[in-house]
Amino acid sequence: MPSTTVMVLGDHPPPPGALLDALRSMDAEVVGATLAELLSCPVELLPAADVLLAPAEVPGASVREAVRRLRRWAGAPIVVVWTVADFAALEDHVRLGHDYLVPPFLPALVSARLLSCSERAELGRTLREADARAALMSYEKELEIGREIQAGFLPEALPVPDGWEIDVLFRPARQVAGDFYDVFELVHRRRLALVVADVCDKGVGSALFMALIRSLLRHTAEQSGLQHLVAAGRAGSSRRIPVVGATPLLNAVTATNGYLTRNHLRQGYFATLFFGVLDPATGSLVYINGGHNPPLLLDADGGLPVALDVTGPAVGVLPDCVYTLGYAQLNPGDTLFVFTDGVPEARCPDGSFLGDARMLDLLALPPSAPPRTGRDVLDVVDTAVRRHTGKAEQHDDVTMLALHRPRAARGPHAGRRAVA
Amino acid sequence: MPLSVSLSIEGDTTVIELAGELDADTAPDFHQTIEKAAGHGTRTIEIRMAGVAYMASAGLRSLVFAQQKVADHVTIKVVGAIEPVSRTIRTAGLDRSIVLDG
Repeated sequence: MPSTTVMVLGDHPPPPGALLDALRSMDAEVVGATLAELLSCPVELLPAADVLLAPAEVPGASVREAVRRLRRWAGAPIVVVWTVADFAALEDHVRLGHDYLVPPFLPALVSARLLSCSERAELGRTLREADARAALMSYEKELEIGREIQAGFLPEALPVPDGWEIDVLFRPARQVAGDFYDVFELVHRRRLALVVADVCDKGVGSALFMALIRSLLRHTAEQSGLQHLVAAGRAGSSRRIPVVGATPLLNAVTATNGYLTRNHLRQGYFATLFFGVLDPATGSLVYINGGHNPPLLLDADGGLPVALDVTGPAVGVLPDCVYTLGYAQLNPGDTLFVFTDGVPEARCPDGSFLGDARMLDLLALPPSAPPRTGRDVLDVVDTAVRRHTGKAEQHDDVTMLALHRPRAARGPHAGRRAVA
Repeated sequence: MPLSVSLSIEGDTTVIELAGELDADTAPDFHQTIEKAAGHGTRTIEIRMAGVAYMASAGLRSLVFAQQKVADHVTIKVVGAIEPVSRTIRTAGLDRSIVLDG
């Protein structure tokens, strides 16, 4: 295969016989073109060449424009201009940086000049590729930094109250994620906040909003609660409804929704979230489900999981909307399984989804089955997700959180069922 | 799976017809069409989704984005969405700001 491709411009005047002979004698592929073609044909149809051989009589500016178009497609050739008489025109080209050939067109001289130009063209291409690679590496480095910073917005360690187990699985589809989870203590460790959320869309935009939403939720929840604990304590309430946790919960979700809709509505980012506040002493849970896939409450004795349905819209969509509270009770042996849509929407190589029905099948426990921990639940679902996805690309972030109350544990109000 | 997007005007309604999958890869095409549709200034924008087999959260974001792009008096209707798609819209609560039809 010839090492050099020379594009010979067919514009007037035609190349002299000696020059064509010299071209034929060297190891080069010759392609023909006219300036009009190079300036008008679609860029994707432009021929590739190392050297563009043009008569000095064609205007330098037009040749430069042709090279600009070639550069957009197949890389810029080195321009070599020849003449037998018009040395003034040749001078114009040389000022533009074009190389030149003048008689006599001896094969060795022509060949040496064209090959050296071809090497320059090759060097230029290599440099451009190296630049592109360096740029890519720099982007990847930035993304990696983004990933590390984002990891700092997830809890470093989970505060797990006595008599409870919390397991989490977090597997982003890309380096940075829109999913997040959070677990933190509220009101002097008397309540435990659990959050699983999914910021819409993917990539860096979602990741930035994840950092904002997580911070707003946690900060607001942590800052609002103490006075209500005192108030509730004075009232001496014996209600099982954990009003103590309800205030920071409502404040956090409505304040975050208010902030997002006041300041960021135009960007269209929002999060679906499940935010639960657990009273570890009693197992009662108060929650808001803001447009999120309903978490599933798995009863210790099996049976169909109970879905904790939405109690309000996704956060960041509607200004001044109302979030109501949901209530649930976790008794010994029960597990609350919270997840993001990356789980039911896991796709196999042919595109079909894992699906909600399959998830329910996986989680429905036969009566004779041995007791199941939160870890077991995550393992069962994760195995199914991985098997289903197979060799297909992971499309969405996958996040799962299991809150489990082991049977052995008995708090002061340890459940309605006696444990053998 | 690609998304096909078409835009037309029927009386005082701008119609956007979608077919395929509306996800993070295809949503930018839909965004562009929404911007064009918003420029038409009709009172209603009808998004026909019968051909949309799957909508990811990026597609929900497109609907929120559409809401922001149009004037307050413009109604955005989603028509013909299959059950999983309309459920995705309802779960997120977007049926409170757009009209979900059929």
